[in-house]
Amino acid sequence: MNLFLNQILAIVWKDFVTELKTRELFSAMFIFALLVILIFIFSVNLSVVKASEVGPGVLWVAFLFSGTIGLNRSFMLEQENGCLMGLMLVPADRTAIYFGKLISNFIFLSIMELFILPLFMIFFNIDILEHLLPLLIVIFLGTLGFCALGTLLSSLASNLKTREIMLPILLYPLLIPIIIAVVRMTGQILNGEPLSEMMNWIGLTASFDIIYIGVSIMTIDHILEE
Amino acid sequence: MDNLGFLFAANVVVWGGIIYYVYTIRQRNRALEKDLELLKETLNRKG
Amino acid sequence: MNPDAVEENQEEGNILVWLTGLAFLAAMIAIFIYVPTERTEGVIQRIMYFHVPSAWLSFFAFFVVFICSILFLWKKEREWDIYAQASAEIGVIFCSLVLVTGPIWARPIWGAWWVWDARLTSTLILWIIYVAYLMLRTQCDAGSMRARYAAVLGIVGFLNIPFIHFSVLWWRTFHPQPKVITNEGIGKGMDPTMLATLGVSLCAFTLLYFLLMGVRVRQENLKDEIDRLKKEKLYSS
Repeated sequence: MNLFLNQILAIVWKDFVTELKTRELFSAMFIFALLVILIFIFSVNLSVVKASEVGPGVLWVAFLFSGTIGLNRSFMLEQENGCLMGLMLVPADRTAIYFGKLISNFIFLSIMELFILPLFMIFFNIDILEHLLPLLIVIFLGTLGFCALGTLLSSLASNLKTREIMLPILLYPLLIPIIIAVVRMTGQILNGEPLSEMMNWIGLTASFDIIYIGVSIMTIDHILEE
Repeated sequence: MDNLGFLFAANVVVWGGIIYYVYTIRQRNRALEKDLELLKETLNRKG
Repeated sequence: MNPDAVEENQEEGNILVWLTGLAFLAAMIAIFIYVPTERTEGVIQRIMYFHVPSAWLSFFAFFVVFICSILFLWKKEREWDIYAQASAEIGVIFCSLVLVTGPIWARPIWGAWWVWDARLTSTLILWIIYVAYLMLRTQCDAGSMRARYAAVLGIVGFLNIPFIHFSVLWWRTFHPQPKVITNEGIGKGMDPTMLATLGVSLCAFTLLYFLLMGVRVRQENLKDEIDRLKKEKLYSS
């Protein structure tokens, strides 16, 4: 068990060191999310539509799109330099590779989200500080589900001919339930409703996370197999 | 209650869809037959 | 394969063809002559006898994809991959029919081609998932990798169905409530003649599924055989 954790940590550590050296991914994700929000602000007339109604949707679309950039990088970077082969030659469990990648994707995306949230608050003129804790719980659940399924499909897509195109095509339809859930919950939270009002959505998101992490553990061996 | 046009359209779509699929299967079969012929020819020439 | 087996197979195929043809003939007679016209919706309601069986067929086909995907990952036999592929194709075709006949019915009844109702939305999402599944298959070269990836997607996609169902249901719904299976029991919400017609139509579509499956599976097997022969005869010497 200890060995397993060490393997996961080693992969996460490796991803962090690469990112700290190159600083390619994080800045790209952040700027892209910012651009998505800006484009939405220009395409929706905020003097007609209430900001708190479109806000949650815009926020999650921004997270989703920039998260996809992160996922695309996570396995393709390995693929390009033949590092994936190296990773697989290491006497580590395939699930350790999956969890390592899941955790590093999750951390990158969460950091990006923490930077985007204040900007969102300013641009849309919504006070999120009042409801910060429930909002963070929802973002945690949503991001975890996104990364759980995204990491699995990104490991799969990295071996395809047209990888950058196929990842969103495979991933987005499967993410629709969780997108509906988190957008609904974010909207309700920003309207000041307590989390206990939306237990059905929380249950849906949490079971989505658990089931897809479980499925990934069971199927990752079949994807990372040469 | 004169929606016969819609009923007709739905029928055309359903049958059209099924026939189209059968047609694509037929096309693929043709391609396979051609492939097989080519293989036979090459083998005859070889052997 | 020995010639006897081939002949036997063909005979079985022929019987299935005749059965399917007869079932469709019976279904058409039932739909257009036998069954009475529905009082509130009029003739347009007869679309239902195509719409519901197509929907049933596509869900059934996707379920077969799921089962075959699991079996493939478990046993690693090419046969299951072929079944999954054939079933996914047929499922997508019939799912498309559902998505087209639905709006044709909705236009005169609801007054709009498309409404973001729960079941319409979830059928659309399902359709996209399996179109993506078929696209994934065109993206990799034939072989073990394609089969494994497709199987993973087949499992992940089918497990998504309950999530889609509930999320879209809580989102909104105005689809006519299911009439065949209601809280009072099976078939209470419908006129018996209508139920019989729907039954015949369901049988016809199910038979068609097995017929198409058989043809596609045989075709894929033939393709494998040709590929094998090519490799053996052309590249070995």
